[in-house]
Amino acid sequence: MKIVGVDVGSTTVKAVVVDCDPHDRSSERGLRPRSESWGEAGRSTPQACDDRRKGGEAPLRVTGEAPLRVIWQDYQRHNTKQAEKVVEFLGRMEAEAGVTAGKDRVFFTGSGAGFIAPLVGGKLIQEVVAVAACVEKQHPDVRFVSEIGGEDMKTIFFTASGGGRSKQVYMQSACSGGTGTFVEKTARKLQVASERLAELPYDGMTLHKVSSKCGIFAETDANTLVKTGVPVEEIIASLFEAVVYQNLATLTKGNTPMPEVLLLGGPNLFFAGLQQAWRHHLSKMWAQRKVALPEGRDPESLIVVPKEALYYACLGCIEIGGEEAEDVALYTGREKLQWWIDEGQHQEKAKSGARGLIASIADLTKFSCEFGAKGAAPSATRSATSVLLGCDFGSTTAKAVVLSQEKELLFSCYALSKGNPIEDAQSLFRQVREAGFTDIGGLALTGYGKDLLRDVLGADVAVVETVAHATASLHYIPDADVICDVGGTDVKIMILRQGTVSDFRLNSQCSSGNGAFLQGVAERYNVPLEQYADRAFQAKAMPSLAMGCGVFLQSDIVNQQRKGWSAEEIMAALAAVLPVNVWIYAGQLNNLRAVGRKFVLQGGTHRNMAVVKAQVDFLRSKVPDADVVVHPYSGEAGAIGAALCAADVYAKGLETKFRGFDTIAALTYTSTTSAETVCKWCPINCTRTFIDVQLPGAKGRAWSKLPLAAGYERVISGNSCPKGLVEDVNEMRVVKAKLEETKRDYPNVAEMVRADAFRRPKAVASQA
Amino acid sequence: MPRWFARTPSVDPRPSRAKLRVGIPRVLNAWSTHQFWCGLFGELGIERLNLVFSGDTSEEQGRQYGKGRGTVDCCYPVKCVTGHYGELVFGQRQKLDMVFSPMIYTLPSFMSGHVARTLTCPRVMAAPENIKAGFLKERDVFAENGIKYVTPFVSLDEPLLVPKQLFEGGLREALPGLTMEEMQRAVDEGYKALREFNERARKKSREVLEWCARENRGCLLVLARPYHMDPGIGHEIEVDLQAYGYPILWAQYFPIDDDLMQWAFGPDIAAGHIKSPFDIKDVWPSSYSSNTNEILWGAKAAARIPWIACVIRLASYECGMDQPTYTPVQQIVERSGTLFFSFQELDSTKPAGSVKIRVETITHYLEKYATDIIRKKKAASPPGCPLLPSAWETERPPLVRQLAPRA
Repeated sequence: MKIVGVDVGSTTVKAVVVDCDPHDRSSERGLRPRSESWGEAGRSTPQACDDRRKGGEAPLRVTGEAPLRVIWQDYQRHNTKQAEKVVEFLGRMEAEAGVTAGKDRVFFTGSGAGFIAPLVGGKLIQEVVAVAACVEKQHPDVRFVSEIGGEDMKTIFFTASGGGRSKQVYMQSACSGGTGTFVEKTARKLQVASERLAELPYDGMTLHKVSSKCGIFAETDANTLVKTGVPVEEIIASLFEAVVYQNLATLTKGNTPMPEVLLLGGPNLFFAGLQQAWRHHLSKMWAQRKVALPEGRDPESLIVVPKEALYYACLGCIEIGGEEAEDVALYTGREKLQWWIDEGQHQEKAKSGARGLIASIADLTKFSCEFGAKGAAPSATRSATSVLLGCDFGSTTAKAVVLSQEKELLFSCYALSKGNPIEDAQSLFRQVREAGFTDIGGLALTGYGKDLLRDVLGADVAVVETVAHATASLHYIPDADVICDVGGTDVKIMILRQGTVSDFRLNSQCSSGNGAFLQGVAERYNVPLEQYADRAFQAKAMPSLAMGCGVFLQSDIVNQQRKGWSAEEIMAALAAVLPVNVWIYAGQLNNLRAVGRKFVLQGGTHRNMAVVKAQVDFLRSKVPDADVVVHPYSGEAGAIGAALCAADVYAKGLETKFRGFDTIAALTYTSTTSAETVCKWCPINCTRTFIDVQLPGAKGRAWSKLPLAAGYERVISGNSCPKGLVEDVNEMRVVKAKLEETKRDYPNVAEMVRADAFRRPKAVASQA
Repeated sequence: MPRWFARTPSVDPRPSRAKLRVGIPRVLNAWSTHQFWCGLFGELGIERLNLVFSGDTSEEQGRQYGKGRGTVDCCYPVKCVTGHYGELVFGQRQKLDMVFSPMIYTLPSFMSGHVARTLTCPRVMAAPENIKAGFLKERDVFAENGIKYVTPFVSLDEPLLVPKQLFEGGLREALPGLTMEEMQRAVDEGYKALREFNERARKKSREVLEWCARENRGCLLVLARPYHMDPGIGHEIEVDLQAYGYPILWAQYFPIDDDLMQWAFGPDIAAGHIKSPFDIKDVWPSSYSSNTNEILWGAKAAARIPWIACVIRLASYECGMDQPTYTPVQQIVERSGTLFFSFQELDSTKPAGSVKIRVETITHYLEKYATDIIRKKKAASPPGCPLLPSAWETERPPLVRQLAPRA
């Protein structure tokens, strides 16, 4: 009889077949502890990794005197086709190892095994239990195990207790931080081939700060590092550092990993650098915490990566399976699983799919009447009197609107950002002037560039984005409770109370829920964005996609496509999941009823009616009496809000500080990008550009390393965070000194507590 | 101050303690009991410079001193205590002899006697028990470093119990020759020091309010737990607002002088809604938690003082004590027409970008509405506000010079 152990993981399938026929077995039962062939082989050489990666052609046979004979083993990536890969493996096992239905037994483990096991008569064993069983048998001295998988990580602590060993298990599978995907995803972006990735070292590399928590943030960090010329090797070493740090930080929970340590799973086996990082950190920790090491052993030798590191879960299955009654988990053949692949999963598709975005033609008609074609075009009537100008300088585009004194929208225009805010501004003002508006009564700026350009353009106010959006909404919809602005790359939710923004959620770092993702998918299907809604409305049913991280959403889409869902259906599903991502995942607003009932949708993404339909249905399902309104000028709300703030200034009768079209068009400036302009606030060292604009009355910067004469104003660009807007320590000193002065004039009681409460007043003793 | 005259240093039985170094983690309720411990250990003969508080909380501190000793707790103010312990054990140039980390069960509060209880959050109270595990579980790190770990259970709102609790809770063993009489004196001295500090802070708050009243300027009140004053926990968000030219008050140190309290709460007492200025049963019947009580009371006070134009609420991530107070606090403040903004879910990292936008949002509305808010709140107030000078004086020095100098 043979026992098969199959581990269906998130990225690979691994399987081992063991022959337990009595004539081949010695009296001892179970796997032989520490056979030479499995040994404590330490580092696997890159060469070995290479062979393995190609995988499968020549299964490694471990025969000889072992009491349990491994007669077949293999692992391969399944590329999200778990069932197909298992069927393929089973077929080969039948042919190559003589595995027979009705005679031999199969045990499954791993995150993807749940639905497969019963289809072939197999029994499911929890993966941590399986790994622990194998480790216990094979390595009696191991006290700590780290198993890193494609999309999860686990640690097991073994502690001696009353003759046996007790186990403590920690596991994490919700986030990509600390897993194999974390390294691979970024490596792929950096175009490091898997073979090279396996060889890249950790030891001796300069490390850089990379977010250890989230794969998406890590990728951004890596991008920034590349931009600043950090060698790829150093970035990869930093990723290894981040993985080990994340494992130690989240999965040790106050325990010290004691020797000996066993490292399991693909990443630990394949990435030589990751092994080095573990060795470095654990040795250091043992020295710090004065952990007694076995005599004469070098700490690094106590960290073992077995050659079979991939197969421990499979072997554990077999170990546990061997203890089960003989009729448990009898293999029933591949037919049912094959049927599921061919037909079963598609039948499931029909059953599981939610209804389409629209329930019926009547539903669509009703929706179209309510929301269709309201986006009024600006009435481009020229104004004889002064107009109000609002500009929104965002990270990707700059927009300008012109309002009449009666606050009607007269004109709008935009410019794609070219990285130099002065040029962007010049382009906007040229367009405004060409449209015939010359008499400007007030100018207001909002967006990322508002503070930079305020003096240069002579703006009357610089309005923060939240206020601009809220002002724009309240102008058209005075009783609005909540504003939901979904742009191309960010999501903003603003909760209004008493005519102010009382709370807001901003998300510009997570791709879930923003418009760019939707656009990306439409592009992949070759559907122009304008046709998105029409196509999505054609879907009669749609799969339900999981809310959450964009990385997982991508693989979910691939998965649904394989089940036979069409482009329309997937586009509908994507629109349907957007509100969930916006409100619940990105916005963390679980109780929408508490925030209000009048919802305003704005931002470019809400021009897509499929999204609006999904938003309306979602909001009404959460708040039955919800009143949903699409802002009449969805995309320009920020600039309109700014212009309305300019109107407030104008209404007070103050004269505008606007420098005039001629001055702006004639702005002369010099840009400097050099070693002197590199930002030193953090290790990323952004290469900034200093744009020195000639401006009458400007104070200049005498204290700067690149001194600026009076009559010039410096605009800083090319920085990746707001910190970079402060030139250097000299400017910080100037800013700080001013701040200290303000703080002295306007006291804060907490400062008194911070300064005086934690020391005994010196004076007290002498007061007597 | 009669004690100073009664003191007889010649028979001081404490020479052996002069060299003792005592460390206290600057965490949790230390932020409202600070001076109690200063006064207490001073009286017990610990030299001024030998009483060491750990530094402000920071992520760096956690990484350097607390890594791998952490606890499973979503409450960051509790979780960060690990770093403070680590700093006291490993981060001292001159080694400590004792780490003193009291489990404070009740707090002395200006609301004592007017509310049901003044208990601390159970999680906060038990933090020393929780955190010490990371230092004792595998080996006794304190003992290895020659440190006595003293963690008495203490009900600071019941002064009669305190000397015995401290004496028997570890100080008897830790301080050679300590007697109960001495303990009693030290406790008295602790309360005195705390009272004096609190009075000084309240006086400063009153001066701020009087300046605002005179100049008709708005100020901000922060409603938070005391440990949000820790730059690593509250992230100095209120400092960012202060930089825009708004004085900042904290509810814990609000002026509670009779004249002001009678003016603010008199009408409610007369109407029978409450029994005293510090009674909050009209808005919060289950008034058992000291910090929560003070936050709710602060909301009521903010609603009644015209020059508090805006209330800033700070709360840490997943705080179960704060959760039920969000709505009542917001409603109390907003119903009076005062602006209300909250920073919830504060955690280890300062969300600098989001704080900046929020601060700019707040200051925009303050600039726009503060004058209006003050005017409306004044119109709704009873006459004769004691914050306003009876005779209007024209020439005024700037606020800073009017405030009492630091002691």
